[in-house]
Amino acid sequence: MKNGLLAAILILLAPPLSAHDLRHQVGAAEAVVVKLYYDGGEPFAYESYELYREGEDLPAQIGRTDARGRIVFLADHSNAWQLKTHSEDGHGLEARIEVSAMGAVTLERGAFAERYPRLLAGIAVILGLFGLYQLFFKSKLASRRSRVQG
Amino acid sequence: MHIPDGFISPQTYLPAYAVAGCAWVYAAQRVRQALGDETVPRLAVLTALVYALSLVMLPLPGGTSAHVLGVGLLALLFGVWTAFLAYSLVLALQALLFGAGGLTALPINALAMGLAGAAAAVGVYRLLAPRHETAAVALAAWGSVTVAALLIALVLGVQPLIASAPDGTPRFFPFGLAITLPAVVLPHLLLGVAEAALTVLVWRYAKTRGWLARSGDSPHAPHAPAAQSVPNEERQG
Repeated sequence: MKNGLLAAILILLAPPLSAHDLRHQVGAAEAVVVKLYYDGGEPFAYESYELYREGEDLPAQIGRTDARGRIVFLADHSNAWQLKTHSEDGHGLEARIEVSAMGAVTLERGAFAERYPRLLAGIAVILGLFGLYQLFFKSKLASRRSRVQG
Repeated sequence: MHIPDGFISPQTYLPAYAVAGCAWVYAAQRVRQALGDETVPRLAVLTALVYALSLVMLPLPGGTSAHVLGVGLLALLFGVWTAFLAYSLVLALQALLFGAGGLTALPINALAMGLAGAAAAVGVYRLLAPRHETAAVALAAWGSVTVAALLIALVLGVQPLIASAPDGTPRFFPFGLAITLPAVVLPHLLLGVAEAALTVLVWRYAKTRGWLARSGDSPHAPHAPAAQSVPNEERQG
């Protein structure tokens, strides 16, 4: 009788005790890899990041980039993700990552796009703006001179 | 050094936009009076140079990288307010075309690098130019980088104090002053040396070509102490 009672108690306690037994499972899955690097090519290594499913306030994944500046995540349940990453010296980015049904990934961020056309475009804008200012300045100066002479 | 979008709380960037807006309006009035017919093309070329150079990243110890500012050069050649406006244009283009910096952080970047950096450069130059002009230019450029880095570190470091969730989690930039001050300022003390060398190089070229502006709030204006160092043909021309 006593043995039976003891066995019943042990059986009842077994499920809660099993919660302390951490198991693991290894499998292969298609993951999204985001690589972060500075303009000079140096990896954005060991920096903290937060990854959010779009529309959620609680991060789905947090951690640090690896030695090669990579973040790896599984895009389950959501196609649109928001990545936030900061380094202690003020570098970092916020970027939207779109994962299509075909597995293609789009990182919406200008810094990853072609640099040189943008560089030339910026120089052209600067020269153009100052050129316009010069034309405007000259025309105003000329009209002022003509008024003084007249 | 640019602060990117998303790092700064609205409690910081909205007042900064108000301050920067007033400064931009005032600077535009000053620049209109100061810029001569010959100065505009030079300013355009040097602003384009600063824009291009600030996109060249220099690797620094610790795996990070930084770029020269160039605002000290603009300030020494054209004055504080002209440099502030020109550098604000550079920052806006970098934000729009490259995602370097950002539109919410633009007023803070402009005030820290464009205005405070330029003012520091001109202040140091005016203080030291009567003793040794080249050293004054070098230290002015170094000072502009250091002051700008210090301000950026302060703004970043106070974000956890300004905007945090009820549980104390920072909503924006998560690191405090104890981390941002050494992390931002120390690498820029080193970068300031490269900035100083570049500034002396371009400044000397500008001086030999007679480009040193002598109007408006330029440190080479006749009322400035450094005007003594401007070559005679400059002053007569």
